[in-house]
Amino acid sequence: MSEPSGRILLVEDTPTQAEVAKAMLAALGHEVRHAANGAEALGIAQDWPPDAVLVDLQLPDFSGFELMRRLKAEGSEAALIVLTANGSVNTAVEAMREGAMDFIVKPYGKARLKVTLDNALENRALRAELTAVKLQLHRGRFFGFVGASPPMQAVYRTIESVAPSRANVFITGESGTGKELAAEAVHKASPRAKGPFVALNCGAIPKDLIESEIFGHVKGAFTGATDNRAGAARQAEGGTLFLDEIGEMPLDMQVKLLRFLQTGSFQPVGAARPEKADVRIVSATNRDPLAEVEAGRFREDLYYRLYVVPIALPPLRERGEDVLLVARHFLAQFAREEGRKFRAFSREAEAVIAAYPWPGNVRQLQNAIRNVVVLHDGDAVTPEMLPPLPAPHVAPPAPPPREEPRPAPAAPPPVEAPPPVWSAPVWSAPAWTPPAPVAPPVIEPLAQVERRCILAALDHTGQDVPKAAALLGVNPSTIYRKLAAWRSEPAGP
Amino acid sequence: MIPAAGTGPRSDWVPQRATERVAQKVIDRTRAKMRPLFAVSAIDPSIAGQLAEDLPPEVFRRIISTFEADLSRLTGELTASARLGDTNGYLRAAHSLAGAAAAVGARRLEVEARLAMDPAQPAPPAEVLPRLSMESRAALEELHQLARA
Repeated sequence: MSEPSGRILLVEDTPTQAEVAKAMLAALGHEVRHAANGAEALGIAQDWPPDAVLVDLQLPDFSGFELMRRLKAEGSEAALIVLTANGSVNTAVEAMREGAMDFIVKPYGKARLKVTLDNALENRALRAELTAVKLQLHRGRFFGFVGASPPMQAVYRTIESVAPSRANVFITGESGTGKELAAEAVHKASPRAKGPFVALNCGAIPKDLIESEIFGHVKGAFTGATDNRAGAARQAEGGTLFLDEIGEMPLDMQVKLLRFLQTGSFQPVGAARPEKADVRIVSATNRDPLAEVEAGRFREDLYYRLYVVPIALPPLRERGEDVLLVARHFLAQFAREEGRKFRAFSREAEAVIAAYPWPGNVRQLQNAIRNVVVLHDGDAVTPEMLPPLPAPHVAPPAPPPREEPRPAPAAPPPVEAPPPVWSAPVWSAPAWTPPAPVAPPVIEPLAQVERRCILAALDHTGQDVPKAAALLGVNPSTIYRKLAAWRSEPAGP
Repeated sequence: MIPAAGTGPRSDWVPQRATERVAQKVIDRTRAKMRPLFAVSAIDPSIAGQLAEDLPPEVFRRIISTFEADLSRLTGELTASARLGDTNGYLRAAHSLAGAAAAVGARRLEVEARLAMDPAQPAPPAEVLPRLSMESRAALEELHQLARA
């Protein structure tokens, strides 16, 4: 059985004692450095972090206890063991109070030194392990994610567990919960991390182009195919292919994807021969995949191929304090990007953020914070700076219980139910006020609503497209594209 | 080289702390003086013998060389501190000497060194140093014998 060995820093000013200790430590298989005084010990500990420090209490420059304090102040995590000629209880108590893990009374033999060091090193290793486990359990960040809540810790653990395997991963979660981040985390934590990560949104690709996007095409395969083009499967060779909104994939394409998953080979559009690709598939949807199967919109066999390791991303409203962690993260990021002074949220603003259920999840929160940073400045974000937040969908109230005749109330008057958390008193935006029972809204084409909203935002921001885009929660390029499209439209009647 | 006994230190000087706390006796000086009569060896075989057994011969010899150098340096420091009336220097050197002696199992030398630093023992250096020199030589002699064995 091999002896446990470690880096031992011996701090001893009397050469004979140092020589004896060094000889014993070397015989025990440890790597040893020796310092004859406290200052020298501090220097060595900085350049060569020891696992344990054997400290003589009487040093020429300062006491061993002072050295222990300084080592701790400098962040040393070494096990501290006091060497003393005075084996009194007082010395032992003081040594422990100063952070020593153990103490050895001089003169000591090799056996005593071994037992003490073995215990100290084992203790230190266990503490380090405990710290690592605690860190894992309370991680505030994980790859691109920000969040320390228990549901997110479970997500991090699943990602870490599945990443090293070749198993296909299926990510579910509401819009804006970070499905692509999760896919990237799986990729980055995997042995394929050095390979490419290719993301494809199946919902954003026209149906007749999706096959070409995934598998590529050869020159002349269809009108406009002027050259050979590698698809996402080829581009992701040796890496990970992320198929977002997989539920939007047409059924005929699902068959081709299934074949690719089964055989590892695919046929680019118009190609005569199949090609092989070593790709790990991570797919995602914001729908209930099983419901899609039952509705006949998603092939059952493909579902079982893809749904090997599911990762369900929790909505932001179920992540407790994470909402504030995420908000602070975005505030710091956007303030830096936009050159704003914002350092924090006021207590009231935090209360509003924490109370709102964020139906659009992290993406909605991100846009709201971007909006604040673009349109305001100051040290702290106040509730007034927050953009109007749409009232979340609230289930219709249950019908009131039938009134039963009651005897005269002897009991205390009924206590009013607390308001829902998102109607906290600090929040006074009109969007929160329950709509008055007025005439039903006028229904108009979505394109008109969109146009009106964009123009209103541009008016509001003095035709500042980036600011208007921030207000609307879209990319500025979307507005530029719309404006260009409207300009090219024929004049109306 | 260990200084000869009785050369240098002032015969009337005793470490200050010793004279201040003379009433608080920790070690019976008479018994301490008598100790060599009962001790058959200058070194403790359970320590020195174990070192000789555990360590390679060249390492054990190196330890003896280091101890010899320590003895020379520390008895020199004791003598100089006594001559200058430097109590702190005297006690520090005696402490180091006791530690070095203990490390190699030179128990009688360790006892003498601890007596020299004991505030309850107002022995003047002129009395202490010759005993230290004698015990140092005895310890070294036995250690060398052990190394040769």
